[in-house]
Amino acid sequence: MTRTRAMYAIVLVLALVFPYITPDPDFWVSSGGTRALWLGVAALSMSFMNRNLGLMSLGQLFFSGVAGYIVAISSVYHGVKFGTSVPLAILAGTLSGVIIGWIALKTKGVYFFMLTLAVTLGLYSFANQAQEITHGHTGINSIPSPIIFGTDFAFVKPLYYLFLGIAVVLFAACKFIEKTSFGIALKGVRDNEDRMISMGYRVLPLKMIAFVFSAFIASIAGVMGVFYVTNISPDSVGLLRSIDLLVIVVVGGATYLGGAFVGAVLIAIFEAKIQDFTVYYVGATGILFIVVLMLAPQGLMGITAQIRAKRAKNAGAQA
Amino acid sequence: MWVQVGVPVRGDAMTQFIFTFLNGITLAGLYFLVASGLTLIFGLMRVINLAHGAFYLLAGYISWTVADKTDNWFFGAVAGALSLGVIGTLIYVLLLRKFQYEELRVALITLGVSLVLAQAMLAIFGGEYYQTNIPDSLQFTIPVPGLGLSYPFFRIFVLLLAVIVAIGLWIFISKTRYGAIIRAGVDDTTMVSALGINVQAVFIWIFFLGSVLVGFAGAVGGTTNSFGMGTDGDYLLFSLQVVIIGGLGSIGGVAIGSILVGVIGQYAVGYFPTFAGIITFTMLILILAFRPQGILGKKQ
Repeated sequence: MTRTRAMYAIVLVLALVFPYITPDPDFWVSSGGTRALWLGVAALSMSFMNRNLGLMSLGQLFFSGVAGYIVAISSVYHGVKFGTSVPLAILAGTLSGVIIGWIALKTKGVYFFMLTLAVTLGLYSFANQAQEITHGHTGINSIPSPIIFGTDFAFVKPLYYLFLGIAVVLFAACKFIEKTSFGIALKGVRDNEDRMISMGYRVLPLKMIAFVFSAFIASIAGVMGVFYVTNISPDSVGLLRSIDLLVIVVVGGATYLGGAFVGAVLIAIFEAKIQDFTVYYVGATGILFIVVLMLAPQGLMGITAQIRAKRAKNAGAQA
Repeated sequence: MWVQVGVPVRGDAMTQFIFTFLNGITLAGLYFLVASGLTLIFGLMRVINLAHGAFYLLAGYISWTVADKTDNWFFGAVAGALSLGVIGTLIYVLLLRKFQYEELRVALITLGVSLVLAQAMLAIFGGEYYQTNIPDSLQFTIPVPGLGLSYPFFRIFVLLLAVIVAIGLWIFISKTRYGAIIRAGVDDTTMVSALGINVQAVFIWIFFLGSVLVGFAGAVGGTTNSFGMGTDGDYLLFSLQVVIIGGLGSIGGVAIGSILVGVIGQYAVGYFPTFAGIITFTMLILILAFRPQGILGKKQ
């Protein structure tokens, strides 16, 4: 336990000093750090659900997209202040989780995966189609940055530290929830739903709360995305972006909360650097994804456990 | 793009209504051809191929190229279907077979495959849109009774193809010895192997057949509609909607799902263009609210 705590402390300190120690900070803080934190929070919403419900969801971009579009439309076209639009957008994204969760939680495994993929693709086609609302393929551009207490978050460092703060708080919240009796009951449902039912637990509300909390994280990630990219278009909720998130979660390790951020950092670096070598970096990401799935399905976080298990197995075979 | 361009609808309300229906029902034929391969492979092997949209698009490009070079639409269609059969089988043997019983892992790998294929197609064919020419022998219109107007025969032809494929698949699976082996292999692989049947070979043939179907669909769909970058995602969405609504693994379910998504989708596009996506989507949510396994799906 203390070892884990020490790890967290080291990672946090590194993250705090990162903008001051990195070479070429203009590039690496924005394209590396800030981007990784944004994608990491989005991936966290997926990892949380996978860890606690045993369900892999591609619907997270739906919640992100709902929240992101609401912020973008209300601030650019209706002059709504961020103080109002951001909480409203997060609320709307979270509430959309109630509707989607109500349907999606009736399914399991690969059905759930397909259904949530269809949900996200549905938002994509709506965003493309509803020109009057979303401006179709062009999307909504030049979204202003927020200014809080005189700090302009258009600058690289303030935005990085804002995102770091959000990521730390949400990560801690996920950890905390898993320790509560609610979190433990949730794990019970994941491992053996029938037994939990026979023990008198009402399973659906438990799952629903976890699903909606995950939608809440995804909505926050959606707003972060709007402020980081300063635009939103159907591609922000498209198939490629969904797969991007999935790659992050799987490469990092889908059964670990920290895997979301490990994967996000790795993919941010990979995508920033691979562009120097090849223009086909999406295909390169795809190959990386397939290789990880075939060789190390537990991702980077799980690689030590995987090796240990293999050694134990080999030792057992020899004995 | 989402909006499926059928035959332009002009004239009075009645004409518009009937033409929208014709566009919808012929589009349903195309959806059936696309989604039947997906549901066939899943129904018999529990493997969900999320590179299905990429397969469709790849077949479109291949058959366009061959049709363009040989000046013969039918060669193009056969080339598209067969080459996808081979590519699909290779992907199954090399990447998926080892993990066949881990449904989610297989689904994820096929998503990775779709990324790689999408990038390769973009590199080769660029971002422009293509459309294969309708063969001269099928390039004519037939009159619509009672309206004094005519409708392109090729779209009716697509619907006919879908009906033929549907009947063929149904006979193959439920009436032939091969179909019986396949159904038995799914229910109890070990027992069927013990009877001296090579189940692995059966699975390879199913994957081949499913990929040939989507390859053929790509050739046909690439003639009725234009295709290009992004078409893979669109058709993956259509296929998912169709099989989720109809019930995954059921050929009859695909037929019902195709008709619902095709016809209702076209009416939505024709009458409420802004909300067309939402309307189809609401239909999907409503059906799942009452039948999570889809209209003809088996209980999970």
